[in-house]
Amino acid sequence: MNEVLLSNEVIVYLLSEALLYLLLFLAFMITPMLIKRWNFDAFTSEQFTLEKRSYLVMTIIWFALILKILLLPYFVYTIDRLSDIVPGAMCAAGIIKANSYGNPLLTLKITIIFLGALWMTLNRLDLQAKEYPYTQQKLWFFISIFVLLSVEFGLDILYFTHIETTNPVTCCSVIFGQTAGMNDLPFGLDIHKLLILFYLLYALIVCMTFMEVAIGVFLSSTLFLYIAYYSVVYFYGTYIYELPTHKCPFCMLQSDYYFVGYFVWGLLSVGIFFSVNYAFGKSIFAKEFLLSKKLSLFLLTLFILLCSLYVAIYYLKNGVLL
Amino acid sequence: MITIENINKIYNEKTDNPFHALKNINLKIAKGESVILSGVSGSGKSTLLAIIASLDKPSSGKVIVDKELVSKLPDLHASAYRAKSIGFIFQHFNLLESLSVTENVIAPLIPSGLSMREIEDRANQSMQTAGISHKATQTIRELSGGEKQRCAIARALVTDPKLIICDEPTANLDRDNSLKFIEILTRLNELGKTIIVATHDPLFDSLPFDSRVVKMEDGVIVG
Repeated sequence: MNEVLLSNEVIVYLLSEALLYLLLFLAFMITPMLIKRWNFDAFTSEQFTLEKRSYLVMTIIWFALILKILLLPYFVYTIDRLSDIVPGAMCAAGIIKANSYGNPLLTLKITIIFLGALWMTLNRLDLQAKEYPYTQQKLWFFISIFVLLSVEFGLDILYFTHIETTNPVTCCSVIFGQTAGMNDLPFGLDIHKLLILFYLLYALIVCMTFMEVAIGVFLSSTLFLYIAYYSVVYFYGTYIYELPTHKCPFCMLQSDYYFVGYFVWGLLSVGIFFSVNYAFGKSIFAKEFLLSKKLSLFLLTLFILLCSLYVAIYYLKNGVLL
Repeated sequence: MITIENINKIYNEKTDNPFHALKNINLKIAKGESVILSGVSGSGKSTLLAIIASLDKPSSGKVIVDKELVSKLPDLHASAYRAKSIGFIFQHFNLLESLSVTENVIAPLIPSGLSMREIEDRANQSMQTAGISHKATQTIRELSGGEKQRCAIARALVTDPKLIICDEPTANLDRDNSLKFIEILTRLNELGKTIIVATHDPLFDSLPFDSRVVKMEDGVIVG
């Protein structure tokens, strides 16, 4: 058997994913019946049964999605640990590129987490109202997410069963380093323009949030996520590693760097989620998600401060920039 | 105030042994009215009370309380409805034994956001109405059965609910205490509260205030 599949982390990860998929599959099996027969205005025995069943299904989905969110950092941790047994890999960057399934899988996982979190918001709105106004919508939304979850589960299996421990993979310095060339930055930007855009977009999110322009918040947040990723990998990361040639989104997740990567990527993704959630609530449901608004601003500000702090500390300690 | 339409409650509905606890119940209760649900154990009185109080959902049918469709309230709203609109008095009192009378009485007001001063004022007022002020500082385990029931009444009144629901309130009381309980009910009736009592105590057959006796048998209203 493939050595990768005997790794403790992979066993735990795949088992957890399988159990969650099973739970979500059970919920999925009941969903079409709920959609077809749901009629809140009816006072029949069937409708009361559907309301109880719907509550059970929503609880299962909610529970499984929460665990899926927690499983994402564990997935990253798992592939990071595999760098010990896959030749050539120094961190998760090499492992994720060990076969063609890795990158689509990671992208899909992040997409599912975002959609899942939006589903939870919709679910909360539905349960807070007295007439379950969004039950049909959230069930359809769940079906769409379940299709992605099925693809993700298939990719999970394909990815872990196709990691070879005999073929060397490329390490992060090859993937993100100087050999990869500087034209990796988006829109043909150089690093200075990238940083200007990084801070400007943050300022734009703050302004749009205070001006309560939902579409502006959504667009600036999405673009900020994209730009922030490159800014961290190609600029702030080098200050975390204190090495100008070390450009990797994964090494900072290791104990050598005090697991700071989990904070950096966590603050960015959760901050962006709350920002998108705020825009989503404001534009689609005309609801003021005050907590999302406050949390998005707080987390993104913390992210900016954390990134900037590494540069400032390096400068204060060494009197130069990298 | 309360409209009950075609309420059915079936326990173990999709099993080989279903139990039809309520069968097509229809009932209207006006604001300020006192209704005595009488009948032997198992006749469906407590189930009907639980459905009116949104503690349980019916298998089919409607319950409307003050224009609010309570039979379909989601859990979150059902809790708020109970906290705001209903005072419960139970057969076994359901008090917190290690706390004092005052602490038990103020408990329902803690999440209300009222100031402690206002909470204390309200607690004193409801303890006075229930005739338990003189035991305010004593713990529940130091009280007699009748005193515990009066403490439960004070707790039920402290939120100033429109509806008082009593489930077999005198089942654990002797005759004297049962009569005292009825005295307090009379006062509540004078205050304009809507009262629903589920009981098989014959003392409730002739109350000193206007009341309607609704007889139940095998989940059906028979009179």
